Amino acid sequence: MKVALTGNPNSGKTTLFNAITGKIEHVGNWAGVTVDKKEGDIKKSLNKSSLSMTAVDLPGAYSMSPFTSEENITRDFVKNEKPDVLINIVDSTNLNRSLFFTTQLLELGIPVVVALNKTDMSRKKKTVLDVARLSKALNCPVVETVSTKSSQNGLEELILKVVEVRGSAQSVPYISEKVDFSQAQSVQSSDRRRYDFVKELVGKVETRKIKSNQQTRQDAVDRVVANKWLGIPVFMLVMWSVFSISQTHVGPLFADILVGWIDGFYVLVESLLGGDVSPVLKALLLDGIIGGVGAVVGFLPLIMVLFFMLALLEDCGYMARVALVMDRFFKKVGLSGKSIIPMVIGTGCAIPGVMATRTIKNERQRRTTAMLTPFMPCGAKLPVIALFAGIFFNDAAWVGTSMYFLAIGIIILGALIVVRITGEKNARSYFILELPEYRFPSFKRAAVSTMSRAKAFIIKAGTIILLCNAAVQIMQTFNWQLQVVAEGAENTSILASISSPFAFVLIPLGFGAWQLAAAAITGFIAKENIVGTLAVVFSITNFIDTEELALISGSADVAGIMGLTTVAALSYLVFNLFTPPCFAAIGAMNSEMGDKKWLWAGIGFQFGMGYVASFLTYQIGSLFSTGSFGQGFIPGLVLVSTLVGYVVYLMKKGDSKTSLKLSVSAKGV
Amino acid sequence: MANIIIVLILLLIGGLAVSKIVSEKKKGAKCIGCPYSGKGSCSC
Repeated sequence: MKVALTGNPNSGKTTLFNAITGKIEHVGNWAGVTVDKKEGDIKKSLNKSSLSMTAVDLPGAYSMSPFTSEENITRDFVKNEKPDVLINIVDSTNLNRSLFFTTQLLELGIPVVVALNKTDMSRKKKTVLDVARLSKALNCPVVETVSTKSSQNGLEELILKVVEVRGSAQSVPYISEKVDFSQAQSVQSSDRRRYDFVKELVGKVETRKIKSNQQTRQDAVDRVVANKWLGIPVFMLVMWSVFSISQTHVGPLFADILVGWIDGFYVLVESLLGGDVSPVLKALLLDGIIGGVGAVVGFLPLIMVLFFMLALLEDCGYMARVALVMDRFFKKVGLSGKSIIPMVIGTGCAIPGVMATRTIKNERQRRTTAMLTPFMPCGAKLPVIALFAGIFFNDAAWVGTSMYFLAIGIIILGALIVVRITGEKNARSYFILELPEYRFPSFKRAAVSTMSRAKAFIIKAGTIILLCNAAVQIMQTFNWQLQVVAEGAENTSILASISSPFAFVLIPLGFGAWQLAAAAITGFIAKENIVGTLAVVFSITNFIDTEELALISGSADVAGIMGLTTVAALSYLVFNLFTPPCFAAIGAMNSEMGDKKWLWAGIGFQFGMGYVASFLTYQIGSLFSTGSFGQGFIPGLVLVSTLVGYVVYLMKKGDSKTSLKLSVSAKGV
Repeated sequence: MANIIIVLILLLIGGLAVSKIVSEKKKGAKCIGCPYSGKGSCSC
């Protein structure tokens, strides 16, 4: 038996889906989180019947006439796959809007059960709902639910009603007249009549204490948080606090303990190996596998605290406000207002971020957003940020915060360039973003989300990163004749010979060492690899306790071990964050762009942007800190000027396309 | 003898890592370990 979950965006479908199936699909307190359907079996504890029931979570839709690709998914599924029962999740705090879709669903002939969700929030607002009357008026069962609660949430009754209505005929409460879909006026007047019916119905079943045009405390908060001018500094302050807590205060406390355990394990294995084992095998096991993986895993507590805090921000409804604040900037540079959603999702992982671009209808805007979304620092880049912030900047919270805002700046600049190149600089888009109500964030939901991400991080560390570190260790140990390289002759290793040509190009960026180039290269497999490879090539197992690190190495400072100045370290961080993402994300870009020319242009653009940003960071930083430009300034300037010149040429070419379009439209051709 | 044991341990670790990657890929995961990544669904 197939049960489809349908409803408006942000009505709580995925939360209800997770509650009835026990799954952990990602939820967010804002519209547009689900962009594809998901399936799961309904839990036995809720399903008292002998029937096997599968729930299908569908993306949110406002009506059966689709305006977006995710609404298409919902409409096509409901119409073509004919589920046995529809559960229509209705946001009880916004009946007027939600029941429009309900009346359309009831016309399909499939039995419907209405889950009147978020009733806890309605009660808080002292809104009284006559559920029995609503059920009678709609000709279908209506069950009050609070899917965020673990008990007394109405879900058992909901599933019971689903079983009861299975196979029954659904009668229609509202009969719409024949609509001519080719005539906009006909569609509009039909919709208006339907709205009138819904309005009248809501008037009969709902008694509100707070009128929707009344100013609430939430509105007062939004006047600051979502303000045109104050929104950005508030966002900066929020992000700084998040990094300060996760990277400077709480995270390192747990990281120190974890790193202590990893170090203890390293010493234990080393003592067990004894003196008879080949030094090559010993190094592979200790430095390549335990050291390399341990260095990455050591950052887990910092990342977990950060993810937990971001999950709280999302759950309370703040991230939707950020989307609103950023929207006006994005529109000005020719992006869709919807572009902000993939970018916020991209802070977790670039892949779903890129996939979320499919909700954007305009092809150029969709491809541009897919190209720019990976600039947002994703979860995999966080250990890299934490490593450099910790080693070179004394765990300063501004490092992580500034990387987020630099990413936003690069995205805006990138969008401006792309819109000029494609000759669509006059394109404007409109996007209505629905702001969810603020709510007290659920610590349980944030913890579940954090734990599942932590599990993913550990699995990744134990698979891809482990294998990469082992490969790096082997390539560092042997030369092309497969002989073990002598100590001090590491420059002759396979790894050095592969990385050195790349290192040469990186000299103007302040990090021309082959070890750093090797780490940047492995970063394209998975960004966490940068940390793992640095640990292997510099034989460092502990990036957290940097004082201990300096003591072990005997170096005056940690920078000495890696051969980096503070400015060069920042430049290296910028390069790794703003060059192309991992191969998996590039694969997602390929499938969402659907055009090889756009894909290669996008990768080239990402390389160019990362290189130029890193060059400027190093050279300008060196000028300010030492009074002169850094190494390789002239060749770097030539390369950067060539890149910039080529982009300017393409932009001019695009401008002439725009003028041609304008003159053609002015002549009315 | 000790070297052979270490080689076997290394092969076992590598084998487990590879088999985990293969099984995740078979499940349709786009990114290894990701709880939200599967066939037709990926929405962190």
